[in-house]
Amino acid sequence: MNGEIGVAGVAIHAPPRTDSRSLEESIYAVTWAALRDGGFDIDDVEGIVVAGNDELDGRAIAVMMASGPVGGVDRDILSTPSAAEHAFVLAALRIASGQFANQLVVAWNPLEVDSFSDALKVGTDPYFHRALPQDELATHGLQAAVLEAKVPGVREAATAIVRKNRIQGAIAYPDRSIGVMETVFIASGRPTRWPLTDTMVAPPAFGLVAMILGSKEYLSGRKVKNVSWIRGLGWATEPGFIGDRDLSTVPSLDAARKQAYRAAGVKDASTFDVAEIADATPYQELLAYEGLGICKRNAWIKHVASGATARGGKLPVNLSGGALSFNPVFCAGLVRIAEAANQVRGRAGNHQVPNARRALAHAASGPAMHYNTVVVMEGGRS
Amino acid sequence: MKPPRVGIIGIGQSEFKARRDDANYPELVREGVTLALADAKRELKDMDAVVYSLAPDALLGIGNAERLGVDAVGARNKRFMRINTGGATGISSVITGWTHIASGECDIVLVAGADKVGESGDSQTILNKIWDPTYERALPLGTITMLAMSAVRAMHKYGLTEEDMARVTVKNRANAAKNPKAHLRKVVTMQEVMASRYIAWPIKLLDACPQSSGGAAVVMASEKYIKANKLDAVWVSGVGHCSESYYMGDRMGKKIMADHADAHALARSFERSYKMAGIKNPTKQVHVAELYAPFSNTEYHAIEAAGVCKLGGSLAMMREGFFDLGGKIPVNPSGGTLCTNAIAVSALVRAAEVTLQVWGRAGEHQVKGARVGIASGNGGDHQFFGTMVIES
Amino acid sequence: MELIKRKESWNIGYDHALGETASYFFARVRDHAEIYGRRDPKSGRVLVPPRAFSDQTLEPTTDWVKVGPGGRIEAFTIVYEEFKTLPNPPYAFGYVLLDGADTAIGGFFRGIDLTDPAKAAKQLAIGTRVSTRFADERKGSVLDFWFELEGKRGKGGKSGGETAVGYE
Repeated sequence: MNGEIGVAGVAIHAPPRTDSRSLEESIYAVTWAALRDGGFDIDDVEGIVVAGNDELDGRAIAVMMASGPVGGVDRDILSTPSAAEHAFVLAALRIASGQFANQLVVAWNPLEVDSFSDALKVGTDPYFHRALPQDELATHGLQAAVLEAKVPGVREAATAIVRKNRIQGAIAYPDRSIGVMETVFIASGRPTRWPLTDTMVAPPAFGLVAMILGSKEYLSGRKVKNVSWIRGLGWATEPGFIGDRDLSTVPSLDAARKQAYRAAGVKDASTFDVAEIADATPYQELLAYEGLGICKRNAWIKHVASGATARGGKLPVNLSGGALSFNPVFCAGLVRIAEAANQVRGRAGNHQVPNARRALAHAASGPAMHYNTVVVMEGGRS
Repeated sequence: MKPPRVGIIGIGQSEFKARRDDANYPELVREGVTLALADAKRELKDMDAVVYSLAPDALLGIGNAERLGVDAVGARNKRFMRINTGGATGISSVITGWTHIASGECDIVLVAGADKVGESGDSQTILNKIWDPTYERALPLGTITMLAMSAVRAMHKYGLTEEDMARVTVKNRANAAKNPKAHLRKVVTMQEVMASRYIAWPIKLLDACPQSSGGAAVVMASEKYIKANKLDAVWVSGVGHCSESYYMGDRMGKKIMADHADAHALARSFERSYKMAGIKNPTKQVHVAELYAPFSNTEYHAIEAAGVCKLGGSLAMMREGFFDLGGKIPVNPSGGTLCTNAIAVSALVRAAEVTLQVWGRAGEHQVKGARVGIASGNGGDHQFFGTMVIES
Repeated sequence: MELIKRKESWNIGYDHALGETASYFFARVRDHAEIYGRRDPKSGRVLVPPRAFSDQTLEPTTDWVKVGPGGRIEAFTIVYEEFKTLPNPPYAFGYVLLDGADTAIGGFFRGIDLTDPAKAAKQLAIGTRVSTRFADERKGSVLDFWFELEGKRGKGGKSGGETAVGYE
């Protein structure tokens, strides 16, 4: 990719109420928050990429309503409804193309739909599978079931990850993180999509995230401090029909990792100081450990038990609490990238890793990690 | 630093029809892809990335339908993302393909999609849902009524008449008759258009686009790749987007930035594309145009937004045949969106058709000597606009 | 060779928060039969319907401005075709610039004979003065009001003599 691109403004919002502001107004708020975080004004913005899910938003073309609050009028604005993190990828590509010096990226996950399950269930194909109760959570459950069959004892590691992320979430965002932390409670939850229990996942939350990206020339010219430089970017997809996949593996994550690590010159995950990784379910975080080169499945249980990926460990994962603590489903992946960026920007608040220089972000969206995006970021001077 | 030059090395499009009961959605996507790959003399495995063109999920009845298209476009374990800017999706997707290559990240990209608008039952019912529930969802707005209102304002501002509108249909149908891929290919007369029934005044049945089904794709590559593989190509010299306020009522009244009679943001988008392409005088420098216009009246403000004449000036020029296939600047020699509208890919087809034109491969609807062409796409409630300049 | 088709429909409900600005607008419509706009301080435009911020300037809007009930037609269309879940044709609707507003608001036009399109179009020509009429029983929706040609006094409630267009 041409040139250097950095993240220079970040805002992650978890509005406490869903009835006081219209979605448009909430998007307006997170947009301004990210601009102010980076010291920018809307007039500085040259282009925008947004991402929303039509079925969750209740709008046939989500970007129409959303264009206003993000400053889309008279600007070049695109929308990537496949995944929130794709908006980040496209924004980076748009700057690298030389067409723009900066980009605003905004994504959201509203809670206005009567049934999350029904809204996401229409993603199942009508040709063969729509009649089945296959919503997104059910597919995550299928993935967990396959792993349980293939990796003996994996549930112990999964439970430990839930506990880890919940404890971390309670430190990072005590007001927004929810969910049980005690092992015995996590383990004794009510099955929701077996083997997933209601304690192993967080319910959908209202969330929004916005970021400003800029080229090195642009950010240097504006003397912006606290930049997270993108060193490597990779993204790839699984096939759509679940039956075509081996749910115990995630080859698209391998592909995305290879792209990102190659670009960043990363040979080994031990180079990272901190990581934010997809954890819609704890099984996803485990699969990501393998896919990102952190730890293979035959060592999952030991690795997690050792605390290596917990706060204070060699490579702390999901100090923000992850989606297991705060789950703005559609934009949870972009939140991972934002959280990782904040670590190397030195803006991660109570969950800041001291002197974090290199961060790994992994976003997965769709049923059973359908889309995988990997971002390697670095702070300090380029 | 100068971005790498990006070329289009192949295109493919279905023969668009009302319904395709013989193919499900992923199969239609594959149809466009197969044609484009053959045209580019490439295989699926050659692609570095795929940009997936898909407008509202609701028209297909499948949420995030692009996931079902992953295998149709050979994207398993590859870079893949979907674009949705409403009706402009197709051109936004091609431009995003340009971005993938110009960024230095990819050498060769497939841009593909399909639509089955006829299967949605009644597209206006779904398109009514694009308006926001806060104020306007309760009104019977649809893309037809929205653009009927644009016609009404153009009648008031510029003296547009129903005959002016009919003239566009007559021109485009005559062009579509020469285009084997077009959906509506029957030649019609002014009298037939004027006699067709009103849908939303002043738009009559024959002033309106059909609901089409089919797939389309383009293959794009960097100059480096094209040279290394000794491929033939045409070049993307300019890209741009711009958008307007979602509120149509803001495009009326006082102190307006954009009038609903015109396509102000389309003009701004063309300005951006022209700047990149070094086009300072479109009237002299542009040889052919494929401008997204699903209703006859909208072709006029698209032409004016392309900077070919001043606001209101296109009416007289249309009467004089300026935009006919044999005219000075043929507009929509393929028949345009008015004759074929598979929403998710209609704007992609505009880019594909311009590609054929400047390549000299447009067969019976070829514009003689065309070397520089422009394409546009419109989306949302006349809100999102994408434009390209493509030349040989 | 048998080609099979399957019928599917989406049945997804939503509870959309309207926010304070739109809520105030609808409460005034419902309780006082009044229409309000909000001023964008940067451009000076009174936006109707009101929004918390201007999408052009991205500045928050400031004061409330009562607008109408008179206004002028800025755009219209007359629908003669039937579409699922939309009203039975013919019906006319469009956008009206209410007195005091700088942007136009959408609504139905009633009390006009729509049988002859050309005649009806002349009556609805851009610039024609209209008056806002309110339903006797209002729910807090844009369907609580509609527009009639100024000088014509229609009845309250559902407009008499014309297709009733109230629908949920």
